[in-house]
Amino acid sequence: MRVQPTTPVLSAPAETISTARLLARTGAAEWVRLWTVRTPWWFLAAAAAFMVGLGAALGLEAAADPASLQGEPAWQTAQSLAVPAQFALITLALTAVTSDYATGGIVPTLQWTPRRSVLYAARTLTAVAAATGLGVLLAFASAVAAFATAGSALVLPLDGGLDLAATTAFVFATGAGLAVGLGFLLRNTAAALVTVFLLLLLLPVVLPQLGYPWLATTADFLPGTGMLQLLLGGVGYQGISEASAVITLLAWSAGALLLGWLRLRSGR
Amino acid sequence: MIEVRGLTKRFGGVLAVDGLDFDVEPGKVTGFLGPNGAGKSTTMRMMLGLDRPSSGTALIKGRPFAAFAEPLREVGALLDPVAVHSGRSGRNHLRVAARTNGIPFRRVEQVIEQVGLEGAARRRIRTYSLGMRQRLGIAAALLGDPGVVMFDEPINGLDVDGVLWIRALLRRLADEGRTVLVSSHLMSEMQQTADRLVVIGRGRLIADTTTDDLIRGLGQRQVRVRTSDPESFLTALERHGLAAERIDADELQVQDSTAADVGDLAHASRIPLHHLSEVEQSLEEAYLGLTGASVEYGGRAAEPSHATTGSSS
Repeated sequence: MRVQPTTPVLSAPAETISTARLLARTGAAEWVRLWTVRTPWWFLAAAAAFMVGLGAALGLEAAADPASLQGEPAWQTAQSLAVPAQFALITLALTAVTSDYATGGIVPTLQWTPRRSVLYAARTLTAVAAATGLGVLLAFASAVAAFATAGSALVLPLDGGLDLAATTAFVFATGAGLAVGLGFLLRNTAAALVTVFLLLLLLPVVLPQLGYPWLATTADFLPGTGMLQLLLGGVGYQGISEASAVITLLAWSAGALLLGWLRLRSGR
Repeated sequence: MIEVRGLTKRFGGVLAVDGLDFDVEPGKVTGFLGPNGAGKSTTMRMMLGLDRPSSGTALIKGRPFAAFAEPLREVGALLDPVAVHSGRSGRNHLRVAARTNGIPFRRVEQVIEQVGLEGAARRRIRTYSLGMRQRLGIAAALLGDPGVVMFDEPINGLDVDGVLWIRALLRRLADEGRTVLVSSHLMSEMQQTADRLVVIGRGRLIADTTTDDLIRGLGQRQVRVRTSDPESFLTALERHGLAAERIDADELQVQDSTAADVGDLAHASRIPLHHLSEVEQSLEEAYLGLTGASVEYGGRAAEPSHATTGSSS
């Protein structure tokens, strides 16, 4: 038995701490929390392997048939690959929220950060920033891999890179925001993940195929239609206008985040 | 100092906590006792802002828990040692906690050493035993060197060495002037550790007293006497306004009196006594006497089954 003396500080009056400083501290803690378990690394590895690996493969394919893609920008290749790859990073952001409910870790979390709006903002910003930043980085890496393996079949103009950064950042940020909001709202990984898949991929693709105009109209208002428009508009996808796509994605993401915040604030 | 005033929690039609009023004072170990379902955990959760009270308040140092910007420096609490992400190492778990409250990482190493987890801090929590998880939770509670600590059943899963360790830790924390609230279902443990006891049943306060007073029956001391003339002595006791009951052919139990008073009365009444003693209850007996009617989930003594024995009347 060994009981070491605790240092009896007995809480000198705490200095006043600004909300911004509190948010920065909580955000730093969320960053440590996110990367000190294995799951996000797996999602990152999957996204990286998919985007960079397939980018290189598509570059090789272009090199083998240079006539077909002569002069095409490699950025578009990366943008197309971001459609499926985003789900790995969106799931990374989602599990940053739901794993705390699955493990019961939300109990100590709320003991350490009882100001729920601060916790909510810190966790949301951290998860969305991670998914967005990594998404943009991987998109660049994918384009560079495609360019490097394509020989002269693909080009890599600077302005196209800026477009790619802006588009993928927006799509990944709103997608991750939707997932994080649903995570806080549903508090269950499977339920939130299924909902994200339905809204971002399955329903926007399936509904217009069913032959009912009203279902096709409904699909136009789903976030997945906006995502597909922004990422694949350059290769012929025609759903809605770019402005509508931006508004749709923003509205869904903001709505989910609002509902998630209300659920967290309402008590556990 | 923890102040609970009119604390009430209703889950739908169920009143889990019903108007609790009590204080937990610094410098003492206060035991929080009650049968299963009495509302102990719900009360502690409300103190920590995890559940919102239906009415009433629970203030720590005069403020609701959620008002603290750096709660770990004010209140350290362990509610459920299993409620952690088991894929994270113990050290990283504590580092997350430290980051949230601006506590330097060197303090993490100090508390790891303090709870004896040096050899396991790098391992993932899923490899920890329940006792090790208890120690990790206690380390997190001590991280900010708080003036108030709250532990929910901290003995669970600890071996004998661990029990001795936590007993000494609780005493030391109280001796340092901290406010210590510990819930436990182990009455013998509370008897050894707690200075005061708050007993609840079905969400209501049953007793808020010192451990010694509770063992003595909340002031209702009892005296046991054996005499060759119990009938005469019963009459003498009643004449002097003392209630007594016969518990054996020649043995009586006198309520709310002392051995000295009962002995003097026997002497004055010229009744010979063969035995005279004050009844010392165990905390278990006192506790069961208090909470007997407040048990939410009770079992029944097993009866022989006629069906299985094959006999029937």
